[in-house]
Amino acid sequence: MSWKAIDRNQAVVDADAPPLLSEGVREKILSYTHRYETKRAALLPALHLVQNTLGHVSWQAMVEIAALLDIQPSDVFDTLTFYTHFWTHPKGEKVITVCRSLSCEVLGGAAVLDALKARLGIEEHGTSSDGQYSLVTEECLAGCDHAPCMLINEKLHKNVKLDDLERILADGDNDRVDMPRSDLFDAPPVAESKQPASATEDDSRTTDD
Amino acid sequence: MAKIIIDNQELECREGMPVLRAALEAGWDIPHYCYHPGLSVAASCRLCLMEMKMPHPKTREMDWAPKLFPACQTPVRDGLEVRFNSDVVKTAQESCMEFFLLNHPLDCPVCDQAGECCLQDYSYKFGRAESRMVDPKVVNPKKDIGPHTLLYTDRCVTCTRCVRFTREIAGTGELCLVQRGSKNEIDVFPGRPLDNPMQGNVVDICPVGCLLDKDFLFKRRVWELTGTSSICPGCATGCSIRVDHADNRVYRLKPRYNPKVNDWWMCDEGRFGFKYTQDNARIIKPMLRRGREETSPSWREIPDIVRFRFQDHVRASSADKVVAVLSPFMATEEAWLLIRFIREVAPEAALAMGPVPVEGEPQAFPCAPPGAPSMPDVKFTILEEKCPNRRGIEQLLEVSGGTVLTFEAFSEQAAKGDFTAAWIVGGYPKPWVEKDTAKLGSKFGLLVVQDLFENKLTEAAAIVLPACAWVERDGSFVNAKGLAQPFERAISPPDGAMRDGQYLFEIAGFEGLYSGQRVRELMAEATASLTEVYEAPPIPAHAH
Amino acid sequence: MKNVGVDGSTTLKVYESRGGYVAARKALAMDTNAVVEEVKKANLRGRGGAGFPAGVKWGFLPKDRTTTLLCVNADESEPPTFCNRVLMEHDPHQLIEGTIIAAYATRSQVAYIYMRGEFHEQFHVLQKAIDEAYEAGYLGKKVLGTDYALECYIHRGAGAYVCGEETGLIESLEGKRGQPRIKPPFPAIEGLFRRPTVVNNVETLSCLPHIMERGADWFTGIGPPHSAGPKLFCVSGPVNKPGCYEAAMDITVRELIERDDMGGGMLSGRKVKAVFPGGLSMGVLTVDELDMKMDFEDPRNYSLLGLGTAAAVVVDDATDIRLVLRNVARFYGTESCGQCTQCREGTSWMQRIAQRIESGAGRMEDLDLLLETARNMGMMPGLSICGLSDGATYPIETIVKKFRPELEAAIRSQPAGQVEAVLQAAN
Ligand SMILES: Cc1cc2nc3c(=O)[nH]c(=O)nc-3n(C[C@H](O)[C@H](O)[C@H](O)COP(=O)(O)O)c2cc1C
Ligand code: SF4
Ligand code: SF4
Ligand code: FES
Ligand code: FES
Repeated sequence: MSWKAIDRNQAVVDADAPPLLSEGVREKILSYTHRYETKRAALLPALHLVQNTLGHVSWQAMVEIAALLDIQPSDVFDTLTFYTHFWTHPKGEKVITVCRSLSCEVLGGAAVLDALKARLGIEEHGTSSDGQYSLVTEECLAGCDHAPCMLINEKLHKNVKLDDLERILADGDNDRVDMPRSDLFDAPPVAESKQPASATEDDSRTTDD
Repeated sequence: MAKIIIDNQELECREGMPVLRAALEAGWDIPHYCYHPGLSVAASCRLCLMEMKMPHPKTREMDWAPKLFPACQTPVRDGLEVRFNSDVVKTAQESCMEFFLLNHPLDCPVCDQAGECCLQDYSYKFGRAESRMVDPKVVNPKKDIGPHTLLYTDRCVTCTRCVRFTREIAGTGELCLVQRGSKNEIDVFPGRPLDNPMQGNVVDICPVGCLLDKDFLFKRRVWELTGTSSICPGCATGCSIRVDHADNRVYRLKPRYNPKVNDWWMCDEGRFGFKYTQDNARIIKPMLRRGREETSPSWREIPDIVRFRFQDHVRASSADKVVAVLSPFMATEEAWLLIRFIREVAPEAALAMGPVPVEGEPQAFPCAPPGAPSMPDVKFTILEEKCPNRRGIEQLLEVSGGTVLTFEAFSEQAAKGDFTAAWIVGGYPKPWVEKDTAKLGSKFGLLVVQDLFENKLTEAAAIVLPACAWVERDGSFVNAKGLAQPFERAISPPDGAMRDGQYLFEIAGFEGLYSGQRVRELMAEATASLTEVYEAPPIPAHAH
Repeated sequence: MKNVGVDGSTTLKVYESRGGYVAARKALAMDTNAVVEEVKKANLRGRGGAGFPAGVKWGFLPKDRTTTLLCVNADESEPPTFCNRVLMEHDPHQLIEGTIIAAYATRSQVAYIYMRGEFHEQFHVLQKAIDEAYEAGYLGKKVLGTDYALECYIHRGAGAYVCGEETGLIESLEGKRGQPRIKPPFPAIEGLFRRPTVVNNVETLSCLPHIMERGADWFTGIGPPHSAGPKLFCVSGPVNKPGCYEAAMDITVRELIERDDMGGGMLSGRKVKAVFPGGLSMGVLTVDELDMKMDFEDPRNYSLLGLGTAAAVVVDDATDIRLVLRNVARFYGTESCGQCTQCREGTSWMQRIAQRIESGAGRMEDLDLLLETARNMGMMPGLSICGLSDGATYPIETIVKKFRPELEAAIRSQPAGQVEAVLQAAN
């Protein structure tokens, strides 16, 4: 019997590291707490916000969020990993989410995925070597009337055709929806530099698939 | 009380308790994983399903509803009728067991849980013979999740008992469930291992061999162990425990259900606190010292020697110069025997109790979660008083009358030379003789010391009697709440030693074998108030 | 769906100009119980999948409650459903108005709109509309100038189908993993933050302004009595005009696919092979069963679970049924929350079997195994905590039962030794 075990006694967060979340992000997270009866209920909004600013939710970010919301880091770890959209390790600048549900698959979604894999030289969950793109799949994106669909960050690309892929990938704005946004609740805070995706995973058995 | 019907049999039970618990305690062996009476109800393993009679939606007549109900989530109410013995329920149990075994490794031969594993038991009783899965099993790595505990992820049945324990009872919340669906795993946040004073309980409540105690790992197969009911001497809480032993060696301590004291739990300090009993430095032989000459008399000679030396001494000096210092580690019965002897040979002898060890503050569980406005209801307390029987000894001293001294008063008077003969009982697992106490060794003409380990007092004593560890003795302890609880003898004393109770029994002039029960009967003649003991009600083995 | 396609339909100005917020004004002038009664009378059955009458659900709230919370279910994750998306994208104010009416009727102080995380554009549209509504005094401390106060927040999900289940949604709103709760207690008694809570679907709420404005009788006048009111139907797959269409609940699956004002028929050269008429979870129909009525009752006659989300996906005859089986099995395999043994293990086992069958290494006994596994997971209510497990049972069972000849033929045509080779390589 093999004795190899993942050692969870080792700290992954440097207790003396400077805080990762900026004052702005912290304030924003705390402002969400007023919407709910418990502080913890602001966890999902907080995770969205942190992932938007840092590109992922690192171990240290989890500890800081936990402290803000008066919960344990393990609670954040627990909740975060339940949801497909949050990841604990850096991904590419843009994350392509290809729909894999029935309408899209029947209309060629799998071919789109294969073409993207070949074009970017990566497998599902992979990140291209230039750190530009990560590729994932997900169940129905509720855009089935425009199947096959894929999301690049927040932009939904509809009726994706294989010949269109090059054009879509070349478009610098392929990941943003250009539209009026509310500033009442969700004005994005000052952007912080995203951490680049790295090939070295400190622990691959966490969440990212 | 409510009357319900289970499988055509009538049962009386408390209204509102889960049907599952009522059935288990009444002897039904119903498979269940996620339910634990000490934790919140998850009703997620779906193994305890049953059928229930409900009014028909149209005719309003009572009939079996076309639905299954988790027995753990259904409260008892008067008139309820349920059944577990129908084909529908059996099929559900069988298919559920098949699902559980799909990804479970077949490593029972090397699994520590084998013999007390609910997966093994249930699949034998409720499951089907062979697996129909030909596809590869999900294989997950082991995790070292804390200083005491290993997690064999692929044996987990995701009952979340362990997670609920750390959240609801310990209040520390180290454990969590990560991922979703069939990828679910138990985990901790890296660098925040499972390390709280109550953590050992997760191993007890894990129904399979997923959470394992490093201390016990691979030491012994569980079916070779014998369990003996006992009380933990670690602190004045006095948890009911079971001592698991084999070949006269203790392998582990497990909590035993006791609704008045510890419910289903015990703390780690108590759990791992038996190691001193296996210490080779223990005193195992009686010893007589005359000047520089040391001899080791046989046990047969001891009662006469001790009695004679005391009588001699009283004759030479005076009865009020004699003192006995009892220990808060003694059983009440043992202390009573010693008092009886001392007051017999020296009716004016003074009595005292040795120091009561105190460490830190009482710790209440669940610990308050961060940011909690108020303390949650206390479910368990580890007391700062690290001995089992201060209350019992105090009660004895109270009823004994005569001169009763505090340990400080005794020390002071002894230091002045007020006593010429003393019998001092130690039995502390940790060194207890402080500098001032050590100096007293030379102040007595006759000093009898009864202790586990050598120290300045035993060095000075004329007679040294080995004390035995509580697993080798029997008697009763009175906990901080005043509850007297009996403990049984699990193993024999080391070769050469004799149980304290036995030699005290003989020294006090009784014949035959000592037992706590027997001494309680003797005590009853003298002081009835001290002889009532409380034993926690047993629960069937399958109702874990 | 009256405002879809209208220019600027997302703005308050256009919405108001087309009669918007009149219904809310009317409702707020009424007694709350009168609003509930009107909705009961309209027999507005939930559009989220279960078809439970909204008015009756509101009636379960304890009479003596002090706080009530309203959750709007905008999680829309059932493949291939997108009608809520269309409603939010094009007519956000109608949803807000419906929310105000429902919140007022249930005396809720806060409404949380739980929106799936994949909706970005829709989120911005709706949030912008909410801002407008706050500014115009439709939301906030004094709704429409009355003493009624209502806060409305969007809470974004993050990719978990099961958060569409109402108690999974509540858990997720509380910042936990979205695992459905055991019931009782039902949300109406003890839901979000342990308060009495109502969960309603976007489309359900979007019906409210019309019911309030035109009356319950108008509503029940549309469609069959047990399935009153207009309903949105989605159609996708290889049809000419995939999209979301409004109709009474008396149309058939065939009409939905073929009518010119709806699906517009199959793409040229493709023929219908199978249709999932109500989202995957309801089960599948064969080409011979297209006369099924899209109402709350008829699907039962075709061994389906129900109407579901009334979102039909058409599978054409060029598609291997094994692909469909695998696609469906994978969906449940990855989306089960994993609490219940039957669902956690069953879905992942079925996924593994279906994948193997698709890869050309199926065994005949796998088909029976699939059927039995499906039955062990969901055929008897109570086997699991939420409906996902039943939802996984129906499609697998109907695919295997209704397309058994094709599956058997495919397995028979596998090269000999394939099964053994694949199993050996895998194990
Ligand atoms: C697994 C599962 C997923 C569900 N997903 C959704 C969903 O995405 N959107 C929705 O409105 N209802 C969904 N439901 C139904 C809800 O549980 C609930 O019935 C509905 O929100 C009630 O609203 P209604 O009465 O207005 O239909 C789902 C149910 C189950 C069992
Ligand atoms: S580790 Fe044990 S107690 Fe914890 S969830 Fe798994 S089986 Fe249950
Ligand atoms: S049926 Fe499945 S999805 Fe629903 S609660 Fe149980 S495990 Fe989770
Ligand atoms: S199936 Fe791809 S968006 Fe719905
Ligand atoms: S469901 Fe009752 S014991 Fe798990």
